[in-house]
Amino acid sequence: MLKKTADRERVLPLLEELGGVTEENVKRVHELTGVPEADIWGSGTFYHLLKGGPGIRVCNGLSCRIMGSDQLAADLKAKGKEVEEVSCLGQCDRAPAALDESMKVFDAAKQKRSITPDDPRLPLNLGGEQNFEYAALKKARELGRDGILKQIEASGLQGRGGAGFPAHIKWKGVSSQPDPVRYVVCNADEAEPATFKDRETMLRRSDKMIEGMAIAALVVGAKDIYFYIRGEFNAEAEAVQAALKRAGDHVKDWNWHFHRGHGAYICGEETALLESMEGKRGMPRLKPPFPHEFGFRGKPTLVSNVETFACVPYIINEGGEKFKAWGKTEAGSKLYCISGHIHNPGVYELPLGATLEELVQAAGGYMGNPMAFSPGGASSGFLPIDKRNEPLDFKGLQKAGTMLGSAGVVVLNDTVDMARAAQWQLEFFEDESCGQCAPCRIGSRYLHNQVTKYLETGDPAALKHANDVGWEMEEGSICGLGMVAHKPLVDSMKYFPQAFEKR
Amino acid sequence: MSKTFNIKIDGKECVALQGETVLQVARREGIEIPTLCDDKRLDPAGACRACLVEIDGQRRLQPSCAWKAADGQDVKTHKVSERVQRHQDVLVSLYMADHKLDCEGLPIETGNGNDLRAWAKDCSTLQLEPVNAPRVARPGDVNPYIEFDPELCVLCARCTRYCDEIEAVNAITLTGRGSETTIGTAGMRGLLDTSCELCGGCIDTCPTGALIEKKAEKTLPHEVEKVRTTCNYCGVGCQMDLNVKDNEVVRVTSPEPGTTVNDGNLCIKGRFAYDFIHHKDRFTEPMIRGEDGELHPTTWEKAIAFAAEGMKKVAQRHGPEAIGFVSSSRCTGEENYLMQKIARAAFKTGNVHQCAAT
Repeated sequence: MLKKTADRERVLPLLEELGGVTEENVKRVHELTGVPEADIWGSGTFYHLLKGGPGIRVCNGLSCRIMGSDQLAADLKAKGKEVEEVSCLGQCDRAPAALDESMKVFDAAKQKRSITPDDPRLPLNLGGEQNFEYAALKKARELGRDGILKQIEASGLQGRGGAGFPAHIKWKGVSSQPDPVRYVVCNADEAEPATFKDRETMLRRSDKMIEGMAIAALVVGAKDIYFYIRGEFNAEAEAVQAALKRAGDHVKDWNWHFHRGHGAYICGEETALLESMEGKRGMPRLKPPFPHEFGFRGKPTLVSNVETFACVPYIINEGGEKFKAWGKTEAGSKLYCISGHIHNPGVYELPLGATLEELVQAAGGYMGNPMAFSPGGASSGFLPIDKRNEPLDFKGLQKAGTMLGSAGVVVLNDTVDMARAAQWQLEFFEDESCGQCAPCRIGSRYLHNQVTKYLETGDPAALKHANDVGWEMEEGSICGLGMVAHKPLVDSMKYFPQAFEKR
Repeated sequence: MSKTFNIKIDGKECVALQGETVLQVARREGIEIPTLCDDKRLDPAGACRACLVEIDGQRRLQPSCAWKAADGQDVKTHKVSERVQRHQDVLVSLYMADHKLDCEGLPIETGNGNDLRAWAKDCSTLQLEPVNAPRVARPGDVNPYIEFDPELCVLCARCTRYCDEIEAVNAITLTGRGSETTIGTAGMRGLLDTSCELCGGCIDTCPTGALIEKKAEKTLPHEVEKVRTTCNYCGVGCQMDLNVKDNEVVRVTSPEPGTTVNDGNLCIKGRFAYDFIHHKDRFTEPMIRGEDGELHPTTWEKAIAFAAEGMKKVAQRHGPEAIGFVSSSRCTGEENYLMQKIARAAFKTGNVHQCAAT
């Protein structure tokens, strides 16, 4: 049911401003908004960052775990610090990572992060200087809706958030709705474990992202443009704001709004993100209807990822064909994040369809003897290292039963216990399941419990029903999180059976 | 007339109306599809996943409660689709791993029934180990009527959606996230300290008996006989079912939504205030207080004549303005009409009032 959202949209920002969900704060927000107290409580308790309790947040994502986050947490605790272990912070290139009380990266001196060096020919070119001339936006105004769409279609641009959906179809879908009020939303709630490309894009090339969003708004006929930026990304949000200021008059035709995440991985799912923007619990909606017809406030809405928008200026400036030609097996260049057992973790812009081997080469080579890798975040499960020459693209990996997703690649060497790695990933999915549907809510807890039990007892009987439960999570869950949450365990059992024998 | 067309469910040609869901068509055709989160008064949630079916052309299984029927659609339920049956088998097993079970290993039944129990009997379940979800109950809720057991809750959210969409009271909510999710209130307070009106509609809509009426928790649904009657607490005329066991009313429930004027709803009085029926102090016949100061049984004719006589005497002695009439909201409109007629026509006074008028 669509509810009046004007006041509801203030609920989460107000709770954050007041310091989190307490009985008192809920009452106060109720007085300020008129939203029922129970609804405010229900929304607030959904979000991790609204629970209060500031302290040092130590990342327990896969890359941080294998780089010793448990030890880091223990050391900090020994020093008397208040420490909370949290889901992946998107700082995998600084593993083991932690944030201090004000969300600044802890001990940032240890930074190892790398990017592809400046090369002006690259479509995204993270290493280049920001450019606020906005030639592409000017050209786009001349091209008009159909002209822009033609270039986007020719470019073969696929959504960079994870699904790889053709961008021109989505854009056309929104722009052809009968409702005259449409919105553009930039999904910057980057939280897929091992993914930090949007972080770097916002920090380094907000110019491109903002220009791309403006061009999208021209096409779909939106007046209001929204950012939804991950709650932990303070520096990134500041970078975007600064860039917006520099873009100045070029983008004054639109109202730019900022929403911040409040600590819920699931809000990266586009419909959960919209619910969150409306001040509600971040539970994914049933689809259909899709956001292009029923999105933010029930209006046609274009929701796209940071990187997708950032590709657009190049496409308009240089032509769709030229962008397409950057790709190897699929169109365009792609930001790959890589971390884990490699020498120079970071974000690398390579042709879409590059192999793990090529990516690792860009990232300074393997550390130790590589055994497994995760091609696209926790959601993609694990592949054995003998797939290192397969192209990392959307369609190919899907055929192989996994996915490119957000292109967050993690390499594991043979010092890692695959059952342990699967347990870490399942812990993440249990913590981040929204709880709406049973296959995911109960299934992710069940699998996490059972793999933990296996690790404690060494008895494979604990995993007897894992495949059935995984199958049902994929078939029965509402959204993409539930569908893939079993993969780290079920894929590991398939590719690394020796790691799940009696021990 | 809305447009009609045909869809095929399990090979059977079914007529569907424009705007209907697959579940609505299936039910009319007598094709059973299990549901937990469906309540026809509420917007479809598609959350319990029980009603998933195969729809031709759709890669994923789809919730029949929310999926609109379309001309020529080919739908397969668990009866013909192995995939849907396997889905149900594992899904029920997961629900059971998160649910209190009895000694037979089936979901336990409370005074409010448990649809999961019947469904589990129809499926080949896996014996999954209990997941011991880290939910917390609301401690110390002392309200007199409504009891919630989170260990029997499947989080279909019918109660919270009912409280919101039908009653617009919004006393309860989903709270927490993931495996910790449960039903709560603002500050996890007792219901008496919330906007709750204790209508008990949450109990009525709960499919698994996680919500029960405190007074009536022990009596199982199959142990009672239901007697349909009209609520006499006000003039609306809500229909209700007295649940009778051993000649005693042990509970009041509302009829199926969509079948009576109250559409499955009742208020706090209709649903919970039935203790008077068997109360020892209840008047069950007309009585007149004698000169000895005690009440003595009599006939209606005598009692009414006695009351009329007394009132007439007051009117004669002190005039019509000395008499006033207050009618009850438990009376019907017709009865209230007669009451003002007695006041105005018989006693010639304007002193007439009705307790619901202020």
